[in-house]
Amino acid sequence: MKRNLTGYLLLILITFACQPHQETIRVKGSDTEVNLAVQLAETFYEQNNDMFMSVSGGGSGLGIASLMNETTDIANSSRSIKAKERALFEERGIALDSFIFAQDAIAFIVSDDLPLDSISSEQLAKILSGEYTNWSSITEKDLPISIYGRQSNSGTHGYIKKKLDIEFSQYAKEMNGNGQIMEGVKSDYSGIGYVGAGYVVHGGKEGIKVLPVYDATHPVAVSPLDADKIAEGKYLFQRPLFQYFKAESREKVQPFLDFEKSEKGKQIIADAGYYPVK
Amino acid sequence: MQMLVIIQLNKLIPMSRSRETKDWIFRLIFKATGLLTIALLVGIFLMLISNSIAFFFDVSLIDFLGGKQWSPDKGGGVYGILPLLASTGLVTLGSMVIAIPLGILTAAYLAEFAPSRLQAILKPLIEVLASIPSVAIGFLGIVLVGPAISNVFGTLSGLNALNGSILLAVMALPTIISVSEDAINAIPKSYREASLALGANQWATLFRVTLPAALPGLIAAVMLGLGRALGETMTVLMATGNAAAMPTSFLDSVRTITATIAIEMGEVPFQTTHYFALFAIAAVLFIITLGINLLGEYLANRLRKYHA
Amino acid sequence: MRKQIIGWVNWFSLLGSTALVCLFLGVILWDVFSKGLPVVSLTFISDLPKEGMTQGGILPAILGTLLLTLITTIFAIPFGVSCAVYLNEYAQSSWLTSVIRSSIRNLAGVPSIIYGLFGLALFVQALNLNTSVLSAGLTLGLLSLPYIITTTEEALKSIPNSVREATLALGATQFETIKDVVLPLALPRIMTGVILALSRAAGETAPILFTGVAFYINSFTTSLNQEFMALPYHLYMLSTQHQSIEAVRPLAYGTAVVLITIVFALNLVAFYIRFKYRNRS
Repeated sequence: MKRNLTGYLLLILITFACQPHQETIRVKGSDTEVNLAVQLAETFYEQNNDMFMSVSGGGSGLGIASLMNETTDIANSSRSIKAKERALFEERGIALDSFIFAQDAIAFIVSDDLPLDSISSEQLAKILSGEYTNWSSITEKDLPISIYGRQSNSGTHGYIKKKLDIEFSQYAKEMNGNGQIMEGVKSDYSGIGYVGAGYVVHGGKEGIKVLPVYDATHPVAVSPLDADKIAEGKYLFQRPLFQYFKAESREKVQPFLDFEKSEKGKQIIADAGYYPVK
Repeated sequence: MQMLVIIQLNKLIPMSRSRETKDWIFRLIFKATGLLTIALLVGIFLMLISNSIAFFFDVSLIDFLGGKQWSPDKGGGVYGILPLLASTGLVTLGSMVIAIPLGILTAAYLAEFAPSRLQAILKPLIEVLASIPSVAIGFLGIVLVGPAISNVFGTLSGLNALNGSILLAVMALPTIISVSEDAINAIPKSYREASLALGANQWATLFRVTLPAALPGLIAAVMLGLGRALGETMTVLMATGNAAAMPTSFLDSVRTITATIAIEMGEVPFQTTHYFALFAIAAVLFIITLGINLLGEYLANRLRKYHA
Repeated sequence: MRKQIIGWVNWFSLLGSTALVCLFLGVILWDVFSKGLPVVSLTFISDLPKEGMTQGGILPAILGTLLLTLITTIFAIPFGVSCAVYLNEYAQSSWLTSVIRSSIRNLAGVPSIIYGLFGLALFVQALNLNTSVLSAGLTLGLLSLPYIITTTEEALKSIPNSVREATLALGATQFETIKDVVLPLALPRIMTGVILALSRAAGETAPILFTGVAFYINSFTTSLNQEFMALPYHLYMLSTQHQSIEAVRPLAYGTAVVLITIVFALNLVAFYIRFKYRNRS
């Protein structure tokens, strides 16, 4: 009996090993983009069921590193590639290509109990870098500020760091993803966090509010949920969402990129709370 | 044993060339796979060592062991292991504070006082507790323990060292209980009988005779439980908040060595300083857990020889 | 009187501790099953995830875990049992073999994330298998090896030498002794060890994180070099990184129920084998 069992097991395994080579595309990277990528992959399969796609998050940093390590075909990145990274790619002789498939707006969220209606980018910089540690610096509430952020592999984290030109406070909690940040701010009324606008649209706005942002040169506060303003490029924290891939992989990934540009693809992107590329 | 007799009768045939060759071939196969397996497992040591050495070309040992900041993307990369060690230590210490008394007292009850029917139910239950995957325990840390901590202590977030400690205690308890129970059971009956004969009641016997006699085994149990708690990844990753700063209290968010590796491993290009840094902290963790496990094993052996 | 009070305090602490431990288990199982069981329906375990995983089922994750465990089995059993046979039956008893035994026993206590690192360095990178169900399966196989080797060795040790000597005296070769006498006798205990190792491997997340598990796959994993979904990782993702954490919470509970049930089932099989053969000497 034992011999039969081993035989069957081996047979199953050999069947797996000898599959005709199915095209596979690995997509890894940005958590901001991952849910969108999942929905795109889901619908893409309905059209083209020869293509096996696996999608994972983990942060833009993970996507780009995976591309470098050749463990992914497409790297989703919510920030543009850093010079340091470009140098590493060159060092390894890998030619890169890229594709922008949507625009995203970063929403700064706080508990809806907080007496604050809008915030300036200067105030954001001071809060996130740890210079302001209490909400009394900008509101009438005396409450220590609790920052819910991402980890260093997150493109969103990197983008904000660069845009506000700060180092994040050491005491910022590093959550594993946008979802956890939303959960954190919902239950912690002293919290402030940053998430992709798509998460707010889908994650449910109970308990939190999105702060419109203004600054010295743009004194009218703009909300990241305002599609028209985003189309005009008027929100201070809007950014293109990238997909990087090796130049030599273009032929392999092209069908998927074409799908993203198609009407169906654009519909999925808009439904997810992102904005089309101009 | 009937099968044995039949097989033995079958062997009463003369040794043939092919049987000898077969024996020789399989001897070779067993030897080769045996050695290959050992080589693979030794490979783990080698991988950790070689990558750590590569790390120490870039960062000095003092900066690494004494540095108070772990910020791989600050400037050229700051790799101080102290906040990670402190976090790991805090969470593990907390878990032991909970698990050691609970574990040993439970083991004492099971070994000395529980009626055998109750024992027959409780021992499998403890094995059930041991078999729950760490990710499920971490999940409960998020959905159950976190909100509870938040309500009781008034903190706004339940993801902190305390949460991690409670969860790790739950994971270490089965190990501590079963090894302690073995240790207590191994104490010869004569000890207890002598103590009772001298007029001590069951409590004095337990606390002043039996448990102290079982001490090497109890320490072994604690060491093994400690080793389990130190090596946990998913539980702490999900429930402790992951802030890589020096923790100041149990209600702080902490980031252990294991969580750091799990978080950062995906985002490092191979063969960069950051990549080697992760192997270096893995090596530190490996040395610590190895040390504790060796100590535990040594003490467990001493126990066996002492009471054999 | 004082002695009485101390007596009660002692009873309380002993019974209390035991009760508390049982309470932990009870709370865990109650919470998971009460909130998860309603979610687990035939559709849940046979359907693909839909609508960005907020609906539908977890079939790919279940199949992924099963496939992964299969690969782990196929790799770990031959290597593990061979190694134990070699150490116990063939190798000369020496300082080296005792160091090797001790190392293997201690490797069982090494954190699973370190096996993940090794799997990444060896299978994904050096052997160029890329992130795939094969890499992850082999990594879990490595993870299971120390435990399988140790328990198999103990199983072999429990067979008295007199049995081996008798068989050899009747003219069998060493290999025949092992194949026809020793292994069959030790088999129940070996299988118990193997099944327990597999149940642990099925629940592991850390070693598969970077060796091949994916958040989402659009069809079933049909080839060894593809990525896969797995129950433990699915639970991790649904509870920490999904975009609508609240919406998917019931699904997370359901996933937890399925995972724990599979692990329990494997443990029960091992328990049954141990029980049935415990009287064989």
